[in-house]
Formats: sequence, C-alpha cells, structure tokens
Amino acid sequence: MAEVFLPREALGELLGALRASGRAVIGPTVRDGAVVYDEVESPRDLPVGWGDEQAPGRYRLRRRGDERAFGYAVGPHSWKRFLFPAREALWRSESADGGVPRIEAASPDASPRAFLGVRACEIAAMDVQDRVFLGGRADPRYATRRAAALVVAVQCTEAGDLCFCASTGTGPRVEGGADLVLTEADDGFLVDARTDAGRAVLGALPVVPAGPERVAAAEAGVRACAAGMGRSMDVRGLPGLLFGNLDHPRWEAVAERCLSCGACTSVCPTCFCSTTETSSTVDGARHEVLRVWDSCFGSEHAQIHGADFRPTIGLRYRQWLTHKLGSWTAQFGVSGCVGCGRCVAWCPAEIDLTEEVAALREGADPPAPVPAAAPPPPAPGGDPLLPHPARVTARRVETPDVVTLTLDAGDLGDVLPGQFLMLGLPGIGEAPISVSGGGGGVVEHTIRDVGAVTRALCALSPGDHLGVRGPFGTAWPLEALRGRPVLAVAGGIGLAPLRGAIRAMLAAPADFPDVRVFYGARTPGDRLFLDELDAWTGRPGATVAVTVDHAPPGWDGHVGVVTRLLRGGAIPAGAAALVCGPETMMRYAVEALRAGGVPEEDIFVSMERNMRCAAGLCGRCQYAHWLVSRDGAVFPFARLREVFGRDGF
Amino acid sequence: MTASEPESGRGRPRLGVFKLASCDGCQLTLLDCEDELLALAGAVEIVHFPEVSSRLAAEGPFDLVLLEGSVSTEEQRELVHAVRARTPRLVAIGACATAGGIQALRNFADHEEYVRAVYARPEYVSTLAAATPASEHVRVDFELRGCPIDRGQLLELLVATLLGRKPQVPDESVCMECKRRGQVCVMVARGEPCLGPVTHAGCGAICPAYARGCYGCFGPKESPNPSALSARLSRDGASDDEIARRFRVFTGWAGPFREESLRRGR
Ligand SMILES: Cc1cc2nc3c(=O)[nH]c(=O)nc-3n(C[C@H](O)[C@H](O)[C@H](O)COP(=O)(O)OP(=O)(O)OC[C@H]3O[C@@H](n4cnc5c(N)ncnc54)[C@H](O)[C@@H]3O)c2cc1C
Ligand code: SF4
Ligand code: SF4
Ligand code: SF4
Repeated sequence: MAEVFLPREALGELLGALRASGRAVIGPTVRDGAVVYDEVESPRDLPVGWGDEQAPGRYRLRRRGDERAFGYAVGPHSWKRFLFPAREALWRSESADGGVPRIEAASPDASPRAFLGVRACEIAAMDVQDRVFLGGRADPRYATRRAAALVVAVQCTEAGDLCFCASTGTGPRVEGGADLVLTEADDGFLVDARTDAGRAVLGALPVVPAGPERVAAAEAGVRACAAGMGRSMDVRGLPGLLFGNLDHPRWEAVAERCLSCGACTSVCPTCFCSTTETSSTVDGARHEVLRVWDSCFGSEHAQIHGADFRPTIGLRYRQWLTHKLGSWTAQFGVSGCVGCGRCVAWCPAEIDLTEEVAALREGADPPAPVPAAAPPPPAPGGDPLLPHPARVTARRVETPDVVTLTLDAGDLGDVLPGQFLMLGLPGIGEAPISVSGGGGGVVEHTIRDVGAVTRALCALSPGDHLGVRGPFGTAWPLEALRGRPVLAVAGGIGLAPLRGAIRAMLAAPADFPDVRVFYGARTPGDRLFLDELDAWTGRPGATVAVTVDHAPPGWDGHVGVVTRLLRGGAIPAGAAALVCGPETMMRYAVEALRAGGVPEEDIFVSMERNMRCAAGLCGRCQYAHWLVSRDGAVFPFARLREVFGRDGF
Repeated sequence: MTASEPESGRGRPRLGVFKLASCDGCQLTLLDCEDELLALAGAVEIVHFPEVSSRLAAEGPFDLVLLEGSVSTEEQRELVHAVRARTPRLVAIGACATAGGIQALRNFADHEEYVRAVYARPEYVSTLAAATPASEHVRVDFELRGCPIDRGQLLELLVATLLGRKPQVPDESVCMECKRRGQVCVMVARGEPCLGPVTHAGCGAICPAYARGCYGCFGPKESPNPSALSARLSRDGASDDEIARRFRVFTGWAGPFREESLRRGR
C-alpha cells in the first residue's frame, strides 16, 4: 500500500480532478439541517466543520470546532438514491397502427459520477444491492449506473452515536469496493488509490509521501472508531433466532410503537422493494411505466386474492426485521443490515432495531433451522423488466369467468410446465400467469377474471396484442419423477398450471405409468378443460377424479373438498405429488399426502405471492427465506415446512 | 382493449359533479387540469357540473360521479342518497366528502351553542348536528383524499376509469413521499410535530418540503397508529391538548384521528 498525503488546502484539487475526469461529483452537503448527498462542486459545498448528534428519532447538526470535511456520521441519504432512484422510468409504449404496441426501454442516465465520502458501511450496502440487482436476473439500469460510478471512500475515525458496523463486520475499515480511499486528519488526507481509475485521479493531485506516522495515526483512528461505536448488535445466529421466535411477545410490543410509515425502509441503504406506476395520456395511446420505491410496511406488499395477508403492524414489522436480519441471508448470501444506524435515527417513533434484537434474545425459544446462505442462482441476460410483444392466436372460453388464450410470443426459449409469464396490457398493468400448455412456438395461459388486469386479458380476442415477460420461476420436476406414480392434486384455477405437466406425463406412459389426477372445482360449471378431463380418463395408466364443493341437482359425481379424494388407497406406494390451488386447499392436501406416506421432499406445491417484477428485484414475492418468482413458484414442500401456513408470510 | 364500456351504454362515459357543504376547491381542481382538459372533455361527456356549465342534468344517469362536500343539512342528506342511485360509480373527493372536512369540527362541540355564537339570527340556520362524510350515508366506491385533492390523483382516477385499470392512489404514508423526494425529516431533524407518519399520501409531502410538519389534509393512511405518534409528540413536550388539536384540523372527524383526539382532549 503506497499511501500518500493530500494537504487539506488541496481538497479542491481532488474535486477538480474528479470533475476533470468527466464525472459529476456527488458528495455530502448540508441542507435543511442535515448532511445529505447531492452534486458538489467545490469544498465550500462540503459540510466543513459540521458534525452531528444522533439518537433514536433524533438528529441534530453541531459545530465541530475544526475544519474536518467528513467529520459527520451518515445522514438521511444513502447512495441507493443514485444507483436505484426513488422514481425511474422503465419503459414507454405507444399504440401504433395494427394495434401492435411499440414498447421502448427508457434509457437510464449513464453519465459518469464520482461518489465522494462513501463510508465502509455504505460500500457494504452497495455490495448488498449488487447482489440483489446484479446477482440473479440483472437489472440493466442499475448495472449501468453502478459501472459509471467511481467510489471515493472515507474511512471513519470517529463512530456515530448510532453506528454499529463493527458488530455487522461491515466497517469502519474500507476493505474493498473503492477506487480511492481517504482517511481524514486535521491537516489533510491520507490517500490510497486502489484501482486504475483511482490512480488516474490521484496522478493529477499534489500529493506527498505519507510517512509511517500518518499511516499509523490513520490506523489508530479506525481502530478507535471500531471500539467506540454508539450501538452494538449481537448478530450471532440471527436468522435462526428470528425464525425460531416468530411468536415472541416483543413483536406485539413493538407493534404498539411502530407507525408503519416506511421511513426505515426508505432510509435503509439496502432495502430494495419497489412497485410500478403507470402514467397514461387521456386518450390511452401513450403510457410510461415507472419503478417507485415501496415498502413492506405498505398494504399492497402482501395483497393476494383481495386480502392483505400481513394486515397488522406487528406482522409488518416482523417481516421487515426477519427479512433484513434473517431471510436476507438465504436470499442473497449476506445479511441485509450493514450497521449504519439510519433506520434508528430516522424512525419517527424512535424505534431502535438493536434494542429490538436484544429484547428478542431475552427469553428466546431455540433457533429454527434455516437454509444455508445462498447467493442468487445464475439467470438469463436481457432486460427482465421490458415486455415483448405477443399476439393472441386463439381464445377459448372455459367457464363463465375463465378464458384460455393461446399466444404467439416469439422466441421465449424453453417454457416448462410450472413456469409463468408476466402478461400485460400497456396502461392496464401486468399479472403473473402460469403457462397452461403450449409448444411449437406458442404458449397457452388459462386466466380467471378477478380484477382489472385479468379482466382485460380475458377480454382479448385473436389478433390482439399484449406484452409478455418471462418465462420465470421453477418447473414441475418431471425429470426427477420418471418411473414413479405421480399424483396431480388441483383446486380451482390450480388445474391450469398443472395441465402442461399432466399432458407431458400422459404423453410418455413408459416414463409415467401411473398418473392420478385429483381435481376439485367450486361447482360443475367451474370445471376447467372438460374435454381434456374426459380424454385423460381414458388413457391407460391414468385416473381422473373430480369433486365439486357445491353440487346442483343431477350431479352424480363426488361432492366435497379435493382432499377427500385422497383417502383410502388413492395414494400408491412410492408416489410423488404435484399440488396447486388455493393455499388452504394445499395445506389440507399436503396433510393428506403426508398421512398417505408421501415424504415432504416428494410433495411439490406451487405458491402465489404478490409480484411486480417477477425477476427477484421488486421484493414483493418474498416468502420467508425464498423469493417465489425465483425459488418457486414450484417448491418441494420440505423447503417450506417451517413457514407454510404461518400468519404473515 | 381500449376504453372500458360506459355502463349507461351510451358513447362516452357520462360524468357528473355534485357538491354538498364545501368550498368548491376540489371540483375546481378538474379545471386545473389545463393540459389535459381538452382531451378529457373529448373522452367523457360532462353531463352535470354546475360550476362550469349552465346545461344541467342532475338526473343523470351517470357512469361516474364526483361528489364534493360533507353532508351538513337535511337536503344534502337527501341529495347524497339520490346521487348514489344515479350512478354505478360514486367517488367522494376531498377532505369534506371523505372525512367531513373542517366543518366537522363542530361535531366535537355543542352544535346549538356554536350556531348561537356564530350567527346573528340563529333561527335561520338549519343544519344537522354533525357534518359527515358521504361514506356515513351511502356506499362510496372510491375516495380521493385531500384538502384540496391533488390534480395528479384526480387525473389518474379519470384516466384509470377510462382505461379500465385500478386507480393508482396508494394508501401509504406521507413519509413515503417525503423520503422519495429526499427531504430531511422535519420531526427528526428539527423537532417539528408532523402528522406525515399517520397521514395518507397524495400531496407529495408538500409541507415538510417547506419545513412544516404535515397537517393531515389527506386523512388517515391505511393501518395508521395515531397513538404511537401522540406518544412521540408528548415525549417532545406537546401537551395532550396540543396533540388533540393537531389531529383536529382538516380531517379531524376521520375515525382514527377522531378517536385519538378524543383520547387526548375533549
Ligand atoms: C406465480 C403465479 C402464477 C399464477 N398463475 C395464474 C394462472 O395461471 N391463472 C390465473 O387466473 N391466475 C394466476 N395467478 C393469479 C393472478 O396473477 C392474479 O389473479 C392477478 O395478478 C390479479 O390481477 P388483477 O389486476 O386482475 O386483479 P387486481 O385488481 O390486482 O386484484 C384482484 C385480486 O387479485 C389479487 N392479486 C393481485 N395481484 C396478485 C398476484 N400477483 N397474485 C395473486 N393475487 C393477486 C388481489 O389481491 C385482488 O384480490 C398467478 C399468480 C402467481 C403469483
Ligand atoms: S420502525 Fe419506525 S420508521 Fe419503520 S415503519 Fe415503524 S415507525 Fe416507521
Ligand atoms: S437496517 Fe438500519 S442499521 Fe441496518 S443497514 Fe438498514 S438502515 Fe442501516
Ligand atoms: S417530515 Fe413528516 S412526512 Fe416527512 S418523513 Fe418526517 S415525519 Fe414523515
């Protein structure tokens, strides 16, 4: 490490050199009583001489009595604002002749920027968001901005009142992830260039050799900072602790105090939840879809089937903390907390997560088993958020509220039974819909009209156009089940995602000698795919049992829930099961299957969660340790055992 | 798919604008939609809108009615029921129609006494004892909050209705908007009392942008926790009376705000 010294008077030259390299410099500046991040042009814009006092729900600037430019602890802004803006256009569409919507990606601002004054915890936070936005299906917008950012870090030599990066192992020393690293002293800065880009900037500066005393003093400052943190958090085994204590009384206690305002998630440098917003011209010809910061404290985050399955503040706070400090690790390979203290300072209700964690440890039940830390699996390239045009080639009315559309969607690659696409209409919105069949260049989707988007989709006619994204998610594991008896257990519209799998198995009787379909519908009139059900019944090695919840006079078939069909010898030895339907139905089905001797590893369920992006980027489809769009929708039940059917997940 | 079919089965969707006890500010927001006004006038048929046109057809039928104002008199109570019967989609707009508005402050007091104190000839004043939101009288299909309502949200409601999408009017807190704008929290950094954490978004967090705490014009957000906010305000030194008055401004009669103000004051 060839560290050099930049005299304080030459700080302006550092800003000048950064600007001369063609970059806008974003750095700390004082505004409205706090240190925020914005474009800075000269050292006069920096918070020279300013420090701060922080406590839960409280932040005040104070005069330091010296000339330090970086003598403050992190404020309300984080770099996420610049890498993952609070509002950002994703794409625009315009209806053109022939009804084919022209869809165009909005181009992200790729202008080069230098981030000045980045703390170790903030570099760690960028690493966390890199895993989210670049680890799986990469977001090209984030990637562009990230690549265009030069990181000028500043090591902390004084800890803030609410900092605890020493506990989370994310600071105060800057290990990697920076182009230049500064350590501030009274008379100037120790500077370490870590990359070629950093060295190029350094080359233009009037630096002198640093000498061992300065290096030692900087080291001592960083060590003292680590020793003097205003907060600490015992992070040992946190994921297991949190998931082992989902009923701890502390959740109720914090719910009384929490406002569910979402300030914490907004200031947190790692939180990444977003929603989409469409703005349209009055004539409906042009639309713009934006991505907007969202929060798990909002009501939409956990909406499915007309209800919010996380309706109380207690469940929402528990979601935030169990995700941030717990399931984040299984999802992205690291904790979601870098110990910056922002959520503590900026919580209007003065809630301190370090105190909450300490309280949860009191009288805690034993930890729950949690999956190993797993970084996101590799995923195909391209822009996962940009819809591609598709055309309806056939429409079939299945029941009064269910329609099957056949789509020519161009080249989607392999689309496997169990996977889903996002189907959308510009100006109306998108919905995740499983494939119900297809092959030879077309995909089929069977859609129940339950709301605005599904209504508009169901109303499409052959020749109409729509937008599609995907395929997303996991498939029914047919390969692995060859040679075994397979039960397909479906409730309601849940037969649609299973249809492709049933067709594939029946087409290969040598591999699937015993396929049993169990299907429950509300009424006889709600049964899907009647012709096919009949055809399947006749196949050698196939059995089909249908039941209805409500039977009109004249119905001589089964009446009652689908799990009743699973009784008495219906489950052959060595069977595996594919289950899809409403969650309550799946719960009973799994129970019946387990009772019938099917091991949890061999029961596969298809889960539904709210989703905006389906690419693992919007945070909506979280399901405890999993992201439904990425790790599901088809899961082996054994993976879900701990959380399946639990309130709030 | 293009525009959704009007339910009255006649060409463009038929729009009616009605008012009860209110200042007209909300309905005039429609005229504020300058850039879009022409297109709107082409897309909907404005059947009844006394503020802008003398061609009135209060009898409807309508595909969409915007209703402004609180129910403050017996006639208004009759009108709100009548209007409900003339439209499949009734949208209450503004703090008066959705929470009773500023005039609902009288609901907390002795009505008779108020009337005697304010009017020279109280015998000419015939009002109900309470000013109440439309939803206390009839089923309301959608509410646009605010005092006044936000132009962008009104446009979104109309465009969404025309296109057949769910109106994107988030029921989140003002804090969410405040934070997206990158504002510095006035409560945390300056100790200013702010209703943002319990208030429905929609204004874009204007007051905090001007270093003032939120006054709660948009009423309670989804799942609000006003007593947790009161607890914070009292730790900051506010008296129960001050807290009660803070909750009792434009939307003081809205359930969660009303209950909290009654817990803290009279
Ligand atoms: C992986 C996956 C596969 C699916 N496959 C199918 C399918 O093959 N056929 C089918 O008809 N439906 C399927 N769904 C459900 C479908 O996505 C929702 O019904 C649809 O999103 C509702 O959108 P909407 O605009 O029509 O309704 P909205 O007006 O948004 O809401 C109507 C109702 O649907 C609920 N809802 C909204 N978004 C979702 C969501 N993402 N998931 C579940 N419920 C939601 C709302 O809470 C509300 O009750 C699937 C969902 C998922 C997550
Ligand atoms: S913890 Fe604090 S900041 Fe977060 S939602 Fe609750 S009150 Fe708001
Ligand atoms: S959870 Fe709180 S302390 Fe941890 S990184 Fe987020 S804002 Fe910082
Ligand atoms: S100023 Fe008000 S609205 Fe903004 S974050 Fe603070 S409490 Fe919320």
